[in-house]
Amino acid sequence: MNLSLQTPPHIRSKDSNFSMMLDVFIALIPVYCMSYYFYGKRSLYLLFLSVGISIITDFICVLMTRKIPNIKDLSMVITGMLIPLLMPVTADWYMVALAVIFAIVVAKHPFGGIGQNVFNPAVAGVAFVTICFPNEMFAYVKPFTYLPVNIVQSISSVASPAKALSLGGVPSFDLTDMFLGNVPGPMGATNILVLFSCLLYLVVRKTITFSMSGCFLLGASLSALIFPRADMTGIQSVFYEMMSGYMVITAVFLINDPVTSPKRAFPRCLYGFIAGIVAMLFRHLGRYEESILFAILVMNASVWILDLLGEYVAHYYRRKDSENRESEKAHSMAGKDRSDI
Amino acid sequence: MIFSNNKGITLEQYKEPMFSKDIIRLPVCDMIRTQSCLEKPKDPIGLSSDDIVAVCREARVIDESDGKHLWKKICDAKERSISSIIIDAIDDEPYISSQIVPAIRYSDELTLGIELLKKAVGVDDVKLEVYKDLAELDTRVPEVIGGVKVSFVGGTYPVEQRAHRAKRKKNSAIFGACSVIALCNAVYKGLFHATCYITVAGDCIANPANYEVPVGYPLADILNDAGLIAEPKRVIVGGSMTGVTVSELDKIGISPTTRGILAFHDEFKKMEESCIGCGRCTNVCPQGLSPYYIYQVLNSKSKSNLLIFDADKCISCGLCSYICPAKLDLQQTVEKAAALTRNMKGEKE
Repeated sequence: MNLSLQTPPHIRSKDSNFSMMLDVFIALIPVYCMSYYFYGKRSLYLLFLSVGISIITDFICVLMTRKIPNIKDLSMVITGMLIPLLMPVTADWYMVALAVIFAIVVAKHPFGGIGQNVFNPAVAGVAFVTICFPNEMFAYVKPFTYLPVNIVQSISSVASPAKALSLGGVPSFDLTDMFLGNVPGPMGATNILVLFSCLLYLVVRKTITFSMSGCFLLGASLSALIFPRADMTGIQSVFYEMMSGYMVITAVFLINDPVTSPKRAFPRCLYGFIAGIVAMLFRHLGRYEESILFAILVMNASVWILDLLGEYVAHYYRRKDSENRESEKAHSMAGKDRSDI
Repeated sequence: MIFSNNKGITLEQYKEPMFSKDIIRLPVCDMIRTQSCLEKPKDPIGLSSDDIVAVCREARVIDESDGKHLWKKICDAKERSISSIIIDAIDDEPYISSQIVPAIRYSDELTLGIELLKKAVGVDDVKLEVYKDLAELDTRVPEVIGGVKVSFVGGTYPVEQRAHRAKRKKNSAIFGACSVIALCNAVYKGLFHATCYITVAGDCIANPANYEVPVGYPLADILNDAGLIAEPKRVIVGGSMTGVTVSELDKIGISPTTRGILAFHDEFKKMEESCIGCGRCTNVCPQGLSPYYIYQVLNSKSKSNLLIFDADKCISCGLCSYICPAKLDLQQTVEKAAALTRNMKGEKE
């Protein structure tokens, strides 16, 4: 009998890297359905362009670093799917291509590829393009404007809720419309209802934990409540800030990237909360219409501090626990001695 | 609480059909029984504490939960002046039911054994602990086993280690259920503790059940007796979470602490991918360790800050490897780090 030897445990959970990424992939499909519904086939064109470039670039990078390509690795597909969602539907092909290439070549592979990157590749890529093309990045059109794949004539862009807020005004949009995504904005970031259902799906599938998203939204809404950007009540400010720009898509997809987030529950909550506050700080002080992405990058860079903090706290608790146990042991030993006498 | 150590997960139990079947006694056991016998005491009820210890010692009863001699444990319990006895029948590992099933099937023996144990230790308070989450079973665990009310221990895997750790604080002694049955057999029937109960299961086994087998019986014979429907690719001695694979079946025998034998015909695919840092291992560790960081530190050049991760506190439950979506061998890594940490701590002291 030819028996194989291996180390315990001999049963493994069914979840794998592939299944986790597949969950995110599935969660992104309804977001694309909504963007197709609002903006027509150009959104799908940007999707396929982005994913195609992403796969090719990643494959080349993997080969150049002399690793073995893994067919079941969906991380670059996720990156490629996230990038167009953060862009307006009017984005030119070279903007998407630049964002994807920057994400894969600069933000992902120099750090060691999958699992090693310090910054979320999608966020880094879009942030880079925001710096390069600040005007084009925020040239939104009204929903239900079906653009052709090749944009020939110039398009008159309209202001999004985030624009009004960044200029210190109150957006003149209906809150229900904002909740359903019927406002100008990035392709995938406006459908708050759909994004929240994605969050629910991911939390139920245990691919992400709710604590980080929840704490992020909590931190952001608290600072929006206390410091409104425009002349409006705190509650109004919370609603407008939450439903404009990248806020919800950040809470659902961008901040929950497992690679660039802390590991323990307590640093995760702390990370989410601080990220929410920092995001609002960037909105207050940033010069762009929407600067959450830069806040996420700053927070990504500080993950290691929070993580090590969590480790030290856990170490402290473990030491206290073992000290307690030892003192109890000593106590019982002392009792035993007394009984002997 | 965020830092509570009561993490872990609920595993699927796969305890059927072994749980509902009767215990199969191999014919060899009967042969051993007739060949070797102790002198039967004339008045088993009137035995004193020291007599019971002496019989225990003579019959070489070994506790299956930790592999210690029962008489030593009884003497130790008497010295410690404990307040309660705990009979351990917690089978929290998947497939394994070799403590709870004998306790249910041989309830009469267990009753007599518990009476003897009470007298030997001199404590009246006895608890029988059984794992709580056995919902998928066809037969229900009775409320009273061996004349003792069953206390169901709930929670996530690893229940057994956690329950025992909590109990050790409370001045109590833990005895395995099968060793109590063996104690009864020794006193009333004059039998050596030469047989033990194991669960034989897995998808290669034709007749999965709990078996009574002689100690030292080779694995190959047990698998033959249980019947093989397919050629096994891996045979595991112990539980599915903590057991070890063996390669030579006819050279390895059953020890008193063996809880089960599992034979599977699918080969375990080793597909180690790169860690994506999901942090599940950290959030599942019952000891509150961070296998993720231990893995990172072991793979890096500088190992100086290994000490803050307390790798030597690992209890080898295997949950980190179980949960890892990249299928990394985290438990092995942590154990390596544990050895390293012990070295470093030794150097410091």
